[in-house]
Amino acid sequence: MRHRVVGVLYFSVVLSLTPQPASAQAAGGGTEGSGTASLPRTRDGKPDLSGIWQVLNRANDNILAHSASEGVPAGLGVVDGDEIPYRSEALQQKEVNFANRETRDTEANCYLPGVPRITYMPFPFQIIQFPDVTTILYEYVHATRYVHTNGSEHPEGGVYWWMGDSRGRWEGDTLVVDVVHFTDQTWFDRTGNFHSEALHVVERYSLVDANHINYEVTIEDDEVFTRPWTMSMTLYRRTEPNFQLLDYDCYAFEWEQYYPYPGL
Amino acid sequence: MRLQQAMLALGISVALLSLAVPLSSQEEAPDPRSSEYGREPTEFLDPLTGPVRGAPTTAPWPPAQTADGQPDVQGVWRPALGGTHSLNPAISSGQLFRNQLAGVTTDNPSRIVDPADGNVPYQPWAAALQQELEAAYENPTQPEHIDTQTRCLGPGVPRLYLFPRFRILQPPGSVVFVWDQYHSFRVIPLDGRPHISPRVKLWSGDGRGRWEGNTLVVDTTNLNAKSRLDVIGDFFSDQAHILERFIFIDDSTMHYEVTITDPTVFTQPWAMRVVQRREAEEEFWEFACHEGERDALESSRQFINSDAGNR
Repeated sequence: MRHRVVGVLYFSVVLSLTPQPASAQAAGGGTEGSGTASLPRTRDGKPDLSGIWQVLNRANDNILAHSASEGVPAGLGVVDGDEIPYRSEALQQKEVNFANRETRDTEANCYLPGVPRITYMPFPFQIIQFPDVTTILYEYVHATRYVHTNGSEHPEGGVYWWMGDSRGRWEGDTLVVDVVHFTDQTWFDRTGNFHSEALHVVERYSLVDANHINYEVTIEDDEVFTRPWTMSMTLYRRTEPNFQLLDYDCYAFEWEQYYPYPGL
Repeated sequence: MRLQQAMLALGISVALLSLAVPLSSQEEAPDPRSSEYGREPTEFLDPLTGPVRGAPTTAPWPPAQTADGQPDVQGVWRPALGGTHSLNPAISSGQLFRNQLAGVTTDNPSRIVDPADGNVPYQPWAAALQQELEAAYENPTQPEHIDTQTRCLGPGVPRLYLFPRFRILQPPGSVVFVWDQYHSFRVIPLDGRPHISPRVKLWSGDGRGRWEGNTLVVDTTNLNAKSRLDVIGDFFSDQAHILERFIFIDDSTMHYEVTITDPTVFTQPWAMRVVQRREAEEEFWEFACHEGERDALESSRQFINSDAGNR
């Protein structure tokens, strides 16, 4: 399935080389303004990722391809090659995780879900782009991220954050975000795919047309995987008029019936 | 007292974590305010970080305009007198704890500026409920006695403007508030769009804003009223209508004035004022809060079992 990555690259090249947006429009799903020349851009000339986005996939259930089961729609998977290169002992841990997924999953415990999982939680998120920093607000547990694009470097180690530390740079029209300093407490999905504190994530946000972002992620973690591996998926702009983020707080405990004060 | 002690221990442990974050930018920067502006830096107490000095600022005044014509007030802000133990007097749990340890009382003002007596104008039944919650917060016997903030659920509006620092962003067409504590945010559209359906209730409500000169006026509805106004149980209902005015006074001062109208709970609309100060630019780092957090539980246990905890 490596051709899938190549296909995406080829698609990007076609877009950047095609002066007329017609062919790109057809390939990009018929949205208006396709082609890099007509991408929405900020005042500093970068593709403008600002807006509200959401995935349309089942990666939060399982990042690998999977059949439907009770309560879980089937999914084609988002992992390139549909295989996660676990070390043998790590594969055993993944199986233990799967057996205990009802109680051990990040999501079941209401932890912040980490990166990239926060992106493919089935909730919208809003990107607010400025030259020095891009802020991402997520409807799910009102998580927030700052992607610093001011040339600053990661703080020194010994830092363990649920969402890691994000430093970004522009490579042409792609926002490349380097994320490190993770805890080992988050999973990639509900089936127990996991990582260690050594996790290193590189995200690539490429605006394909006004309403689609090609989102590619490289996962690197020598303690758990034998080699880097990648995910790719499309982020769709929420185009409904006056669309806005709402909120979803997490429910690790039974509390909802007590607030507001019962009877109020 | 155990719950209060545990909460204070949690606050202290978080404070220690916060202090571990380098504050070098604040320490190294000269404080120009007393010389350039003829004002002494304001020292204030925050429930989580303790005494903090008002930070120097280079923000222009009158403010520059953003690309879409808003007064540019972007940056980091924090209440001059932070804390949500109670509204009258305005005091933080941290300051109350330090006062108790030192055996002193402080004459803090009420946050409430209308009515003039500084008290929440409750209807009799609501006053009784608030008093019940105040009597129960230290030794809760029912789940509903526990403040949602203690459960790491969002403080909501207006409580978010009573204690933590926040960042203002102004992308075209909106004003965005982002807090690191409780990882909360609000996006306030300025385009005059209507409120969402009243069927939808939100922790921070649904805000719609407009600029009147250097004042941002935000009309907020759709509040779920799950969060309370302070630790001692001051509250409103999900029928509340909140009008907020962010009055930018100068480069480093903003008055947050909020009027709460809720005929189901109060005898009249009432208002609070919270003075906010601009702080030095600093990256916001992750502040994760979730119920059942084991490190906090462990530090609380250690505190309760310590000499300090047994005092």
